Amino acid sequence: MKALKRLRIEKDIVTRVHRTLKARGQLNISLGQEVAPDDIIGSCWVSSGFRILNLSQALSVSPAEAKKYLRREIGQKIYKGELLAFKEQGFLSGKKNIISPSDGILEYLNEQTGELKINFLPQKIDLPAAVYGVVEEIDVPHGDIVIKTEVSRIYGMFGTGKNREGTLNMICSRDELMGELKITAENSDQILVGGSLIRKEVISQAISSGVCGIITGGINAGDYKAMAGGRLIFPKRLENDIGVSVVICEGFGVQSLGEDIYGVLQKYNGKFVLLDGNHAIINLPSFESNCMRRVKSIALPKQQDAVMEDNVLKLHDTNIGSMVRVVGNSYAAEQGRILAVDKIETVLPSGVPAFLLTVETKRRKIKIPYDNVELI
Amino acid sequence: MSVLTGLFDSFDNLDQIAVLDIARWIKHAPNEVVLENYLANKILYPQTLPLTKEDTELDLAILREALRANGPKNLAKTGSFLGDNTFLNVTLRKILIPSRFLRFVPSLTALIWAFIDAFLLERERKDFFEDLWTITLTGEIDEVVGSVLLPQFSDRNGVLELTQGSQSYKIRFGSLMIIPCPLNRCQIVYKFNKGKILGKQESAVEVYGGRIGLFIDARDKKK
Repeated sequence: MKALKRLRIEKDIVTRVHRTLKARGQLNISLGQEVAPDDIIGSCWVSSGFRILNLSQALSVSPAEAKKYLRREIGQKIYKGELLAFKEQGFLSGKKNIISPSDGILEYLNEQTGELKINFLPQKIDLPAAVYGVVEEIDVPHGDIVIKTEVSRIYGMFGTGKNREGTLNMICSRDELMGELKITAENSDQILVGGSLIRKEVISQAISSGVCGIITGGINAGDYKAMAGGRLIFPKRLENDIGVSVVICEGFGVQSLGEDIYGVLQKYNGKFVLLDGNHAIINLPSFESNCMRRVKSIALPKQQDAVMEDNVLKLHDTNIGSMVRVVGNSYAAEQGRILAVDKIETVLPSGVPAFLLTVETKRRKIKIPYDNVELI
Repeated sequence: MSVLTGLFDSFDNLDQIAVLDIARWIKHAPNEVVLENYLANKILYPQTLPLTKEDTELDLAILREALRANGPKNLAKTGSFLGDNTFLNVTLRKILIPSRFLRFVPSLTALIWAFIDAFLLERERKDFFEDLWTITLTGEIDEVVGSVLLPQFSDRNGVLELTQGSQSYKIRFGSLMIIPCPLNRCQIVYKFNKGKILGKQESAVEVYGGRIGLFIDARDKKK
C-alpha cells in the first residue's frame, strides 16, 4: 500500500538565500566572494520616522511669527534636551523655553499652521552575511545579494508574511499554548518558536513587540483567514504581510508542533534563521565553517525553488518501521512508527471500510487508516 | 504535488461557507471555532477519512452546504441547457451522485438525503413535473438507484395514501419515508385528500426503482 510522503525537513542542503538592505545604501561585496556570518556585506541609513510639533501653539504666537523664535536653522541637527525655541517675557505673556523632544533634523516649518517637522536622526544599519557561503548575484539598485550557502530547511504547512530574519528563540514547549505574557519587547527582532496554538491576540502582541516571526503547530482557521486575505486556499497564491511572518507546521486548531521539526529547531535555538511566511519555509543556515567545502563544490540549477516545491508531497510505499504523522481531525499531528499493517479492511465507527495501520507514538499505540497518515 | 482525492474535491469555495449554516444540519453541533477548524483541516487534508459517526455527520453537513453553495444557476441568466451543475440535471430532473463519494460516506441513503436537503428542500418548483426526480449514481457505469417523490400538500392535515405492489403506506405532512422498490420500474398508485402529485389528486404512475427505492419527502419549508 502507498501513502503520501510529505517533505518536512531537508537537512544540510545547498541553496540560495537573499540578503537585502533595509533601505538604499552601499554594498561592500563582489561576485564570487566567500563570506562568513560576521562579515558586513553592506550598510544603509534608515530613517526611523518624524515628529510634528506645533511650535506656534507652544510659544503662544501666530504661525507666521513662530520662525523668528527658532534657535536652530531649518536643516540643522538637534539633540534631545537642547533648546529648540525661545521667547522672552512680553507685556501680556510669560517667558517660553521649548526643548527638543528627541534627536533629529529640523525638516520644515509650516508658516500657515506653525507646525515644525523634526526627522529623527537616521540610524546606520549594517547587513551581516549571516551565513557561510559564496556570493552569486548582486543587485545594487535593490540592495539585494544572493548567497549560495548550506541550510537545513523546514517546510511548514502554510503561513503568511514576507521574508524575515532573526534570532530563533524557543519560548515555550511544543504542546503549550503560546500566550501574550510570554512575549515582551525583549523579543524584538526574534523568531519565536513553540506551542500548539497561537491566537490573534498573541499575534497582535508580537507585532507590538517588534517580533519578526512565529513558528507554531496550530492556529484557529478564523484567525488565519484574517491574516491571509480571507481565503483558505492551499498552496496559497497571495502574498500577504501583517507585520510579522507566521509559519504553521501542522494544521488548524490545537496541534502540537511536530517532534521532528521541534527537534531540529532546538538545535538552532539562539542562532540566526530566515523565515518566509507566504511560502511556509524556514531556512536554518549552517553555523559550521566546514560547510564551505560542500557549498563551493555544488552547482545549483537556475530554477531551484520551483523544483523543490514539486517535491513536497509524493506517493510512497508504506513499510513497517516507517515514521508517520497523523493528519486530519482525529489524533492530529501525532507522530510515530508503523508497527503493523492490516491485510483486511476494518469498518470504522463512521461506517467507512479502511485498511488500518498500527502506529506507536511516544504516549500510546493507535490504529489509524492509511488515508489519515503522511509518511515523514 | 500529488493529486489528493476527497469528498470535497469538486468544490473550490468550501472556505466561503458560513459555519453557522453547517451547524444547522447537526443535532449537537460543536462550537463555531471547532467547526471552522474541522472544515479548514478538511480543506488542508482532503484525503482523510471520517473516523467516528460524529465526523460523518459533520462531513454530510459540510456536503449539504457545499452543494447548496454550488447549486444550479438560474437557467435564463446562464443560458446553459443543464443549469451549469454537475450534481443536478434540472432539464431531465436527475440527481447525479458520484459513486466515489461512497468511499467517504458508505451509506448511500445518507448521501441521497444530503442531496435532497441541498437541492430539493427549498427549491422553488416551476411546474408539477418537479415533483418527481430520478437518483443516479455516476461513475464508469451510471446506475439508477431510485426516485424522489415530492408530494404537494395543500393543508398540514393532508394525508397521502400510496400503494406499491401489495403494500400500502400513509404519508403525512412533514414526514420522510423510503419505500423499497428493487425493480427497474415500479408502479405506484396514490390518492391524496388535501394535495397533489404531478398535478393530480389521484393517479397511478411508473417511477424508476433501484437498490435504494422510492424516497418520499413530505417536508415543505414554505408551509
